[in-house]
Amino acid sequence: MKTTFLATTAAAAALLASQAAAFEPESGETIKLMQADWTSMLVDTEILNIILSTYGYDVEKVIADDSARYPGFENGDLTIALETWQTTQDKAFNASVATGKVLDMGELGPQAREDWWYPAYMEEQCPGLPDWTALKDCAEAFSAPETAPKGRYLGAPVSWGGFDEERIEALDLPFEVVHAGTDAAMFAELKAAYERKAPIILWVYKPHWAPSVYEGSFVEFPAYEDACYSDPSWGVNPDMAYDCGKPQGWIKKMAWAEGEEIWPCAYEITRNFTMDADEVGQLVYEVDVEGRDVDEVAMEWATENESKWREWAACAAD
Amino acid sequence: MADTSPTSPAHQAGRTGAGRYAACAAAVAALFVLALLLPPALRDLPPAAVVPLADWTGDALNWFAREASIAGLPVSGITRAVASAAQWPIEALQVLLADGWAKGAGFNRVQIAPPLSWAGITMAAALLAWRISGRGLGLLTLGAGLYLALFGLWTSAMTTLASVLLCVIAALAIGLGIGIRAYRTPSVEPAVRAVLNVMQTVPIFSYLLPTLLLFGYGPSAALFATVVYALPPMVHATVLALRAVPAETLELAKMSGCSRHQTLWKVELPVAVPRLAIGLNQVVMMTLNMVIIASMIGAGGLGYDVLRALRRLDFGAGFEAGMGIVVLAVVLDRLTQTAARNRAQGRTGLWTRRDSLLALALLAVPTAASLAVPALAAWPKALTLTTAPFWNGAVSVINTHFYDALEAVRASVLIHVMNPLRDGLAALPWLAGVLALALAGWRLGGARLAGLLAGLSLFVVLTGYWQAAMGSVYLTLLAVLLALAVGMPFGIWAAGRPGLRHGIDLVLDTLQTLPTLVYLLPAVMLFRNGDFSALIAIASYAIAPAVRYAMAGMQHVPSERLEAAAMAGCSKWQSFVHVRLPAALPTLLLGVNQTVMMALSMLVIAALVGTRELGQDVFTALSRGETGPGIVAGLCVACIALSVDAILKSGASRAARHQGETHV
Amino acid sequence: MSDLHHRPAPADRPVVLSARSVWKVFGEDEAAFRARPGPNRAPAALERDGLVGAVQEASFDIARGEVFVIMGLSGSGKSTLLRCLTRLIEPTEGEILYHGEDILKLPEKPLAELRRTRMGMVFQHFALLPNRTVLGNIAFPLEVQGMARAEAEARARALVEVVGLSGREDRMPSQLSGGQQQRVGIARSLATDPEFWFLDEPFSALDPLIRADLQAEVLRLQREHQRTAIFVTHDLDEAIRLADRIAIMESGRIVQIGTAEDLVTRPATDYVRRFVAKVPPAKVIRVASLMSAEVMPDAVETVPAASTIAAVAPRLVAGSGPLAVTDASGLPVGCLDRQTALRTLAEGV
Ligand SMILES: Nc1ncnc2c1ncn2[C@@H]1O[C@H](COP(=O)(O)OP(=O)(O)OP(=O)(O)O)[C@@H](O)[C@H]1O
Ligand SMILES: [Mg+2]
Repeated sequence: MKTTFLATTAAAAALLASQAAAFEPESGETIKLMQADWTSMLVDTEILNIILSTYGYDVEKVIADDSARYPGFENGDLTIALETWQTTQDKAFNASVATGKVLDMGELGPQAREDWWYPAYMEEQCPGLPDWTALKDCAEAFSAPETAPKGRYLGAPVSWGGFDEERIEALDLPFEVVHAGTDAAMFAELKAAYERKAPIILWVYKPHWAPSVYEGSFVEFPAYEDACYSDPSWGVNPDMAYDCGKPQGWIKKMAWAEGEEIWPCAYEITRNFTMDADEVGQLVYEVDVEGRDVDEVAMEWATENESKWREWAACAAD
Repeated sequence: MADTSPTSPAHQAGRTGAGRYAACAAAVAALFVLALLLPPALRDLPPAAVVPLADWTGDALNWFAREASIAGLPVSGITRAVASAAQWPIEALQVLLADGWAKGAGFNRVQIAPPLSWAGITMAAALLAWRISGRGLGLLTLGAGLYLALFGLWTSAMTTLASVLLCVIAALAIGLGIGIRAYRTPSVEPAVRAVLNVMQTVPIFSYLLPTLLLFGYGPSAALFATVVYALPPMVHATVLALRAVPAETLELAKMSGCSRHQTLWKVELPVAVPRLAIGLNQVVMMTLNMVIIASMIGAGGLGYDVLRALRRLDFGAGFEAGMGIVVLAVVLDRLTQTAARNRAQGRTGLWTRRDSLLALALLAVPTAASLAVPALAAWPKALTLTTAPFWNGAVSVINTHFYDALEAVRASVLIHVMNPLRDGLAALPWLAGVLALALAGWRLGGARLAGLLAGLSLFVVLTGYWQAAMGSVYLTLLAVLLALAVGMPFGIWAAGRPGLRHGIDLVLDTLQTLPTLVYLLPAVMLFRNGDFSALIAIASYAIAPAVRYAMAGMQHVPSERLEAAAMAGCSKWQSFVHVRLPAALPTLLLGVNQTVMMALSMLVIAALVGTRELGQDVFTALSRGETGPGIVAGLCVACIALSVDAILKSGASRAARHQGETHV
Repeated sequence: MSDLHHRPAPADRPVVLSARSVWKVFGEDEAAFRARPGPNRAPAALERDGLVGAVQEASFDIARGEVFVIMGLSGSGKSTLLRCLTRLIEPTEGEILYHGEDILKLPEKPLAELRRTRMGMVFQHFALLPNRTVLGNIAFPLEVQGMARAEAEARARALVEVVGLSGREDRMPSQLSGGQQQRVGIARSLATDPEFWFLDEPFSALDPLIRADLQAEVLRLQREHQRTAIFVTHDLDEAIRLADRIAIMESGRIVQIGTAEDLVTRPATDYVRRFVAKVPPAKVIRVASLMSAEVMPDAVETVPAASTIAAVAPRLVAGSGPLAVTDASGLPVGCLDRQTALRTLAEGV
């Protein structure tokens, strides 16, 4: 890996040294790119790292937690994040932007989706799927000894929230939630079940490699609206909230507001930085399924799409 | 756990003892009934009565990290300065071992100097091992280096090594410093010990956030967290080692007119080296233990490889990277142990100037050559070995062919043992729990112990974590029983077979350093998310001390007693029951204690497969970035640990008193 | 203790070390002990208040070059007294005078200096440093003095030879037998050529043959270079062999100080009597004690006045008639009646 990496960098460096040297970054201060622990963010953050570094910015990647990021952005410990998912961060993100210390830098491109998901072979055992009402009658097909006769729904780690207990109660589903401890443990169970064609229904999100490797679908719940979560009278259950599916939505870029003055051009590049869902899906696949190195995949993308990102960086071209 | 004491001979005294226990049991039963009749507030604490300690702690820490200042300097400025100072050596080592020296970044990146070649480092390390120990360790080191290189783990391993080296040195220096201080000033010793006990039992995840808050994101935060984690055993070992320096030797120092400084450096420390080495061993092991957790907050390296492999469910690759950690641990441990032993025995002159030159040449030549021969810089990817498909295949085969049998076991254990116990404990009113603990404490160690136990359990109650704590108790209890049921008999069996010693040590070291995640995820595939997988994971981690202490206890039975038993015509079994077991009992109890501690420290990891107890609270707080609840839930884990420790210690000292000896 | 049972230091040599009413009590309330009036210091009173009077009112003088042995049963306070003399244990009360200067008043630095340059000590369990070679152990006190390495090693090498360990300079302590280890201990204690030599049961961990060897070694070293030695033992034979004077301790008190002969012939208490009961009088009674003052100028057979009766026994049984007694310079000082001497020889057999 090192050798190819060295070869590419050396070649690229020789080629580009003259052009890049022309641009002088506005500030020598370090831009801190936040990366959380899921793959798409690792790859696109590395791509931005490559781009900014190429133009001479001093960049550092900092690992931070998805939900714990806001104080960091408000006080300048973190500068730019490429992914903020509406599905989980909607409220916190808006609140943080409202403080005026954090900037909404626009959408990255792909739409996020997360909800209850089942493998295709389960349609035989529960014919009404993907409509959610089918679950009421075939809970037994999804049961485990300790939950029988109720179905066993494998939820995401507790820390992700998601209101599945509330959803089950509101929609009167005969299911019990078992929380996975981590995202890996969740997909490990999917893998095991899939290999045996065994019953399973669980939380899946995308962009992620699993829905592209395993055949299956999301359960169609009543579509999410803000009112569903906040207003009990909304929806099929007049007395309870959460009687709907999970929110779907954008993935946004965010940045520390004061940074705009320090690195205006870097901020413009970030605003221009977009990718489409297939592109991200492919990058994630390369890393997660093919087992390739993040840096390598990112550098490959940067080499192939050079003209694209040079356009984004028009402010640094002169 | 308290139920181990009735087996101790102290209680075979006769009817009166049995009667007293029956009375106690009756009292506890009465308490339960009484508690059920009590108003509900004494069963489940109403939310209004919960002390918002978590909020206070969170606020206080936030204030301290963001706004406080000492002598006009903002604390945040100081901590950040410390962090960047610590970053410097990490980066230097990183450049030397893993990355080489590069200029520019992105498309402008130019490699100026390569890192030290894997071939060079491996050969130099093997030379060192060979010189200070012998051919065996030399070959082991060589094999370890080749494993890391050929399996494509080298760069990550060097990143890990860089931070481990720094952590070990820092923990060693700081631990020695604190230990010496505590030894010299006996008045501060109890305080130091109390703090260390809490530090050792509060789950690591609890202080990750405060560390991040203070030192910012990045490798130095991981470094600080690791050092904090690895410190307690070093301090304990230092105090114990210095205390064990014979009085006569200290008198010698005085009579020779040594200054305090001379006494310390020329007499006390050199004499204490063998015992200090035990602390060093623990530091190395714990540091490598932390690698995977540190990688979660930005330390990279092998731990990160494990995490990434597991995220794509490539168990085989995860296992290989995990074994990389084990290999590093074993080599580092054996090297440091040998060096310590040599020092203690005054074996010097093993490493000559010529060796230094040779090692330099071994490092320099392949590194220089790596500019021309890339294979010396990094083993070509195409030639990388891997066993991953085999392991992945094995897991799949087990999954498809044996799942039903495994599932049957899982379901019956879950339904017949685990769930009833969980529900039973969950239904236990807090008042009954506190009173039962206080009663047990009073029986075992008098008013002091009773007060301590009541205080600890009340802390848990008042902070609102009683329910969660019961979840932890249930899981820990089962895991400890499982680990003891397997580990103790095995250890006792193995104690009689010294030939197995090396092999067993290696297996135990592997169990302790192979990141649990590596076998946790395959366990999840076979046993699903939930408490059963957690039980397996905790028990397999906690089994190591059970085996170790069982072996130690059995090996140290005084031989005259065995001879006496033989002369009295005891059968093998009689001599085991009447002589060996009683003599080993204090050590075995200590083993139980350590098993419990290990099990408790694994709770947070078990949270990764979806448990519902204190470990999960700590883990959730970490991922939500809530400092307060993380710390308070962690302190509740520490409360459980300290309670068990206190109970077992007084049980052990009773047993020892009965034996008329102070063991270990 | 009456003066009768307290033989003073030999008058012909200067007193170099004195203990004056030294007390050491162990217990919670050691400090308050000083305020106690005399009668409250009786053993029963101490015990009642939970104090252990490990050393009680010890007073004696030691002359230059004397070998002063402290003896007593286990727990009688020997080690404590020895350690009070070196201030390894801080006495509760009293004075410890070296050449008239009270070391209990010395601050830490001069005290360390005093120990570094003028005291050497041999320990019961050897107290060798396991990480140093034989040579390194012996050179240790010199190193502490700050002596250059080469010089320290040269000195240590000479001492290795003195204690008969040549060829074993580079061994580690763990590679030596007990006797050899104590030889290293002895050599180390003498490395700085100290004026005062303290030995706390140095041979009690060794078997009888080796013990005898090392006692001979000590005697030899004393002959070559007379040091003031304070030697603790509970072995009476050892005491008799080495001592100029012996102090007998019983539960913290010195009950008698005297030569071996004094103890046997005039025991102060029953305790002392029982202590020396097994000793054949002939082994300790000297010719000088039995001789009459009349001088026999023409006697053929002479015996030295300082010899014990046992030592001259062969000559006693070989002939008949009185024997002439001579002093150290060979001049006749009296005569020994053969019958009296033989009676003594027969006693206690
Ligand atoms: N540190 C201490 N604290 C309390 N009591 C002590 C201490 N050291 C010694 N003693 C007591 O003082 C008394 C004298 O002890 P010491 O060691 O001087 O006796 P010893 O004559 O040297 O005995 P041995 O021949 O066994 O060495 C004993 O009763 C002992 O228990
Ligand atoms: Mg003694």
